[in-house]
Amino acid sequence: MDNFWLIVSSAIITGTGIISIPLLPSRIKAFVNFLFVLLVAITTSIPAINALLGNPMDISLAGSAFFGDIPIRIDALSAWFILIINLTCVNGAFYGIGYMKPYHERKANLSLHWTLFLIFQTSMLWVCMLQHSLAFLIAWEMMSLSSLFLVIFEHEKKETLKAGINYMVQMHIGVAFLTVAFIGVYFAQGSFDFLAISDYFGTNYNAWLFLLFFIGFGIKAGFIPLHSWLPHAHPAAPSHISGVMSGVIVKLGIYGIIRVALMLKSELLLIGETVLIISILTGIFGILNASVHRDFKKMLAYCTIENIGIIGAGIGLFLIGTAYNNNMLMVIGLSGALLHTLNHSLFKSLLFFSVGSVYQQTHTRDMEKLGGLIKQMPQTAILFLIGSIAIGGLPPLNGFISEFLIYNGFLNGINTIGLTHSTLMILSLASLAFIGGLSLLTFTKTFGTIFLGNPRQQLHSVPSEVSLWMRAPQYFIVAIMLTIGLFPQFYFSVTLQLIQSVLPASSMVNLETFTPMMALMGNVGLYSMLFLALLVAIYLLRNYFVSHHPTQKTATWGCGYVAPNVQMQYTGKSFSKSLGKLMDMVVKEKKKYTEIEAGEIFPQTRNHNSHFVDFFENTIFDRATKQLLKFLNYFQFIQNGKVQMYVVYGLFFILLIFFGTIFNLI
Amino acid sequence: MISLVLIVLTSLFFMGLVIRTKSIASGRKGPGLFQPMKDIIRLWKKGAVYSNTTSFIFQIAPSIYFSSILMAILVIPFGHYKGIISFDGDFVFFAYVLALGKFFSIIGALDTGSSFEGMGASREALYSMLAEPAFFILMGSFALYTGHTSFHEIFTSLHFGSYISYGLGALATFVLVMIAMIENSRMPVDDPKTHLELTMVHEVMILDNSGFDLGLILYGTNLKFAMYGALIANFFTGSFSILISILIFLGVQMMFATLVGILESFSARFRMGNNAQFIFTLTSISILIFFGVLLIMGKFV
Repeated sequence: MDNFWLIVSSAIITGTGIISIPLLPSRIKAFVNFLFVLLVAITTSIPAINALLGNPMDISLAGSAFFGDIPIRIDALSAWFILIINLTCVNGAFYGIGYMKPYHERKANLSLHWTLFLIFQTSMLWVCMLQHSLAFLIAWEMMSLSSLFLVIFEHEKKETLKAGINYMVQMHIGVAFLTVAFIGVYFAQGSFDFLAISDYFGTNYNAWLFLLFFIGFGIKAGFIPLHSWLPHAHPAAPSHISGVMSGVIVKLGIYGIIRVALMLKSELLLIGETVLIISILTGIFGILNASVHRDFKKMLAYCTIENIGIIGAGIGLFLIGTAYNNNMLMVIGLSGALLHTLNHSLFKSLLFFSVGSVYQQTHTRDMEKLGGLIKQMPQTAILFLIGSIAIGGLPPLNGFISEFLIYNGFLNGINTIGLTHSTLMILSLASLAFIGGLSLLTFTKTFGTIFLGNPRQQLHSVPSEVSLWMRAPQYFIVAIMLTIGLFPQFYFSVTLQLIQSVLPASSMVNLETFTPMMALMGNVGLYSMLFLALLVAIYLLRNYFVSHHPTQKTATWGCGYVAPNVQMQYTGKSFSKSLGKLMDMVVKEKKKYTEIEAGEIFPQTRNHNSHFVDFFENTIFDRATKQLLKFLNYFQFIQNGKVQMYVVYGLFFILLIFFGTIFNLI
Repeated sequence: MISLVLIVLTSLFFMGLVIRTKSIASGRKGPGLFQPMKDIIRLWKKGAVYSNTTSFIFQIAPSIYFSSILMAILVIPFGHYKGIISFDGDFVFFAYVLALGKFFSIIGALDTGSSFEGMGASREALYSMLAEPAFFILMGSFALYTGHTSFHEIFTSLHFGSYISYGLGALATFVLVMIAMIENSRMPVDDPKTHLELTMVHEVMILDNSGFDLGLILYGTNLKFAMYGALIANFFTGSFSILISILIFLGVQMMFATLVGILESFSARFRMGNNAQFIFTLTSISILIFFGVLLIMGKFV
């Protein structure tokens, strides 16, 4: 079938889904939604795969005189993101079948939820396909709104609603910046086509327009200081939605930034350095916050911010490479960013799904209330463990591959360019290592606190392993992750082809020069396999020895103390306490308690409450909004609730227009 | 291949040498050089006690820890001879493979549900995280100096010419020795001979391990020491023939072991709260090395 008709049929499938899902009984809504999601995914993946194989799609819908024709293009870059969206959405929809089972009685809510899921997927796909500013903004807005309603599924909870509103407001600030940028281009070039942006960059100062785009897309992606919606929205949403949001919606911000970055013509060095520095700071900030939080979904949300930082570092390397005409740096940077985008969408959705299973069984997001779940939910524990290893960038899983590429980029950058850049590169290299170490601390803490040791509190119901429906998509993700970790050369060659096809003709890359790099990636995969084999061999050897000697089971050694209880276990909070104290200029702890007074002979029961606040949100945004509120209060007299006054406003306005026209002011 | 054989060989007597040095320093004769190895072999032949709280994580963790060290050793070159594995950026692989082993030893400790072991695990995670940037800046500086990014190529093309470069070699050796001490939880950061669990780092993490697993962990520590010793030795074996190289290698390892013994005999452990700052200063020494390299290359204009 023709690419065009495939795209049209995907739209038709979405429409059919939206109409039919509300009519079905709530038992099968989720399943039917999954079928529709799968169909949309198949119909849109075919043109995407074609584009990756070298047949990009480029069609125009006839538009009006004002809008101009609406171009729909799928080049290799769009295709890469379309495939990531489809993969994550299909997994999310499948996981959602099991996850939403306890909510069956809420029929109307479920109808809305699943129709919006379908709209959400389709709008994200259209964001990648449309290359017409206004149409793009419409798709972008549909994506934000549909995800908003997906987030606030549990709308009866106050904090969920608050997180939703926070999300909505921030997304619209982002849209405002994008709109200004697009309109600026329109006035300069007279076209809404994305090609006009490229023309604009050819003739004007690049940095300002890029800044507008970077803020607009950066809010979606979660670069600091634009990240503050993420740690609120992700915990509030149902887990399959958090997985999809963290897996792909933030990546569309990355898509936008890469799309614009590819069109830049000058000021590349300045922009590249800025992006690199912001990204590295984002990475450190994200993981530092992740390490101290006790709400495990909030922890994952901060961890998303960290990974966006790593992806951004790749983009920064790409831009610096372009500025210096250094092909190696360009390609390594961009392919590292693209691969990490794919990798992160995989392991982050895996992590969100597995903690979703924990949440479904225990009804708490507070890791300090859990413990020892590995005994009741062994498979979920293994899945979470695999996700943790991958996200820490440890071999033999996929996270290592993309981080290794970015490390190579930094090393290459140190060698090739001057003093300031060498310093920048080596500090980035060290920061990436620091981020790696911190994520090891974060995930050992989270895994240890949730799954290991003894249960810390009596739960309302005894948790048990979740259904196969919920585990199956996670195993599927693990399988893909392993293929990336063990056969990285295949994925690397795909990104190489991709980069060659999307780079502007002026900076063509000769793929021949990357043969050693390909071989290197192949070797890394090979050595990962060797490592796995070594692991298994030593474990078998150990089992052989252990089974030939007597073993016995007793209580944990209490260092001589004979009456230990579960409350004495090391908590997650204390695990990261020394780090929190060390870094307290960034991760601020707020404590609420009242000291015992000197004269208080019989003290009352009192509570001690402590939580960590976000540095940017607490010190910058909250203060700014407080001042703004204070200032706007002076205008309160305008909205005074008297109908008479409102009539006077209307009259005043009419008079204003009347005199305005008379004196030719309007 | 040759580096693997030599490192395994060194690991057999390394700890014995450390203990012997400490004994002599405190006026005793001390056990034989191979006594620690004999203890480990005895452990391998023993049965084991497992805690009721633990799960399969506790069973697999020591094996993974041990194999991560073995894998890391495969990357280490010896003079002109490549390690079994050698590729561009292999020191990243080296660091990350070791990190995987650390990941499992930490969750293995948390698996017991003991408050002491959690405490040790937390410290281990924090200290090794803080040591990471120092190692990467060190290797990055040498990558800049030599224009190569694999252990083997860096060490073979490393040549000392000016006074600054000797200074850099000394600083690099210091940083590597300190990293080795931190990674192995030895003296200025952690006292392996302390009797109070509250002040331990690594020892308290393995309180519940016994039998074969404990043997694996202890032998892993020996291997790790020999591995860092081999890294340091590589600074000096660059351009000599194989026999002299082997002699230099063994000499460096012995000096390293003696140094560890002397350090542990004559210095006290830092206060736990100050360890973090101390470890982080290593990063600044690494940055000093980096600026030295820039100076040699004439990049300061």
